[in-house]
Amino acid sequence: MEDELFNLIELFDVAYFREASDKPLRGHFDIIIVEGSISTEWQIEDLVSIREKSRYLVTIGACATAGGIQALRNWTTLETFKRFVYPSPDMIKALSISTPISDHVHVDYELWGCPVNKDALSEVLSAFLIDKRPGVPGQSLCIECKARGIPCLLVSKSEPCLGPATRSGCGALCPAFARPCYGCFGPKEGANIESLLQLFQKNGLTQSECVLLLDKMNTLAYRQARVEE
Amino acid sequence: MTKLINIDYLSRVEGESGVTVQFEDGKITKLRVNIPEAPRFFEAFLRGRPYADVVDFTARICGICPVAYQMSSVHAIEKIFEVEVEEPVRQLRRLLYCGEWIESHALHVYLLQGPDFYGIGSAWSSKEYLPIARQGLNFKRLGNQIMTIIGGRPIHPVSVKVGGFHKVPAKGSLLSMLYELQKAYEDSLKAIRWAAGLPFNGTVSDNEYVSLRAAGEYPMNYGDVVSNAGLDESPQGFLDCIQEYQVGHSTALHAGMKRDGSLSHYLVGPLSRLNLNHDRLPAEIIEVIGGCGIQLPLKDIQKSIIARSIELSYALYEAIRIIKKYEVPGKPAVGAKPKSGEATHITEAPRGMLIHRYALDDTGHVKSCTIVAPTSQNLAHIEKSLHAFLQNTVDKSVDFLKHETEKIVRSYDPCISCSTHLVVLK
Repeated sequence: MEDELFNLIELFDVAYFREASDKPLRGHFDIIIVEGSISTEWQIEDLVSIREKSRYLVTIGACATAGGIQALRNWTTLETFKRFVYPSPDMIKALSISTPISDHVHVDYELWGCPVNKDALSEVLSAFLIDKRPGVPGQSLCIECKARGIPCLLVSKSEPCLGPATRSGCGALCPAFARPCYGCFGPKEGANIESLLQLFQKNGLTQSECVLLLDKMNTLAYRQARVEE
Repeated sequence: MTKLINIDYLSRVEGESGVTVQFEDGKITKLRVNIPEAPRFFEAFLRGRPYADVVDFTARICGICPVAYQMSSVHAIEKIFEVEVEEPVRQLRRLLYCGEWIESHALHVYLLQGPDFYGIGSAWSSKEYLPIARQGLNFKRLGNQIMTIIGGRPIHPVSVKVGGFHKVPAKGSLLSMLYELQKAYEDSLKAIRWAAGLPFNGTVSDNEYVSLRAAGEYPMNYGDVVSNAGLDESPQGFLDCIQEYQVGHSTALHAGMKRDGSLSHYLVGPLSRLNLNHDRLPAEIIEVIGGCGIQLPLKDIQKSIIARSIELSYALYEAIRIIKKYEVPGKPAVGAKPKSGEATHITEAPRGMLIHRYALDDTGHVKSCTIVAPTSQNLAHIEKSLHAFLQNTVDKSVDFLKHETEKIVRSYDPCISCSTHLVVLK
């Protein structure tokens, strides 16, 4: 966001941004942008206290919006994961599951993506300035693919592309690079995941290979969407 | 008399960390860099994944240096499969890495560390600094643009795969950047002079500098590990030399080199790279370094900003060189046939050596892996530097010491998020 950063700073007063500024956290805010999932006890406390101080809360990215890649721990035990990583697992404090911000406090707007699209972020911030709801489209990735005239990888090459079940936002990046979508933007609303997976299986994937496709940056959201159908 | 310095949350640092220092009667009795950041379990959830997923997963370890993670993993896996990429593909990967060095160094020099020398809390809190910050953002934009052309986006690019790329850029899209890159390169040479003229407090310590060293080029994707103390190891040999250990105040593991029965601490990153590889820089950059009166080796960690500015210049120079010679490769990738095995590879992330080791089964699924981020290797060194500085300035005010402590930690460009998932797992 190099070109936009200083313009944004003219429009907004950046009250708290530790990665770029020394300013301590004080007072109340108009809008809070949260990234990252909830995976430790103390993060919940911080989140609740910050929610109380803000008029709007917006989550950005797959971690904050869907629990992120960290939610892969939700399908196993934390102890197993700790043992794989740390020589002294008992010293590590973490929650057994990684969850989205919306599981803990009210979220006014969620911006999907790993990473989010910077134009979508600009849209959300400028929408706030004129007090309207952000107009970030939520259709499937296929729409972007068609708009770019990219031949369908699923139909023409039988490749396991998550596009039909995935939210647009990246501009059909992976298909443009001749590879199937791997779901950075999470499931679109009303995605028919089960039938897409059946098609993958018809094309030769095993059941467990299908699950591996869903289990990436938005694992929790895809698995929930699959159950909710 | 007890004196306590407590910094809960270091600012202008990627990730969450703090520092606690306790003095008793003028002596430091406790000093630690606290890392409470939530543990991330990358090595754990990579187990059982197909090899093709690895670059997409490891990229997620860092939003600032995703290419470093992609490169260390893709090279390690290619070693296992005995895949040799074609020369144009090798050059294109180096260009992608140049893009990342440019954006990461520009961010640190101009937005994170730069404000320290002007006594301001952020890059936008002073009018005087704004033009400097804008120049930095322009460098950053160009780095991001290189990454976007090659990888689709600057954060978590999508084009890298085992064997090469999913798709390579057309010649024209890269050539169209040349004019701006050339101009930025000229600006970056002037910026070396700016960095060299910043006020440094002259803290010099004895360090073991460790970096890659490669034949005929400044190290990025390849090389063996060398140091000013005579170390010369292959990537695997170096991984065997180091030991990671856990301390209670940190979810990031620390690392040291096993030597004479104890662990010796070392420094990775731009300062080490420059000190050990400045003979690999092009003559015109060496001339500018000499012309600014920069004495190599640089020994003051705060002078990392000079090293980063020099490397930023070099990355622009190298990007221009590669783009001018770029011919679209015959095929974007060579075929890779999965087989079982184990390999270690190290590349030079903007922050220093990034070590990856993978063991794959015969279908190419991950059996186990080890990822050692540069910040983990530097953590013990950071504590050592703080100790050396604070022991001599104990009589100064707490506010002054807090401020200087932050400056020292920041000059390492630590990436806390990267380092909180590390493992020794054999």
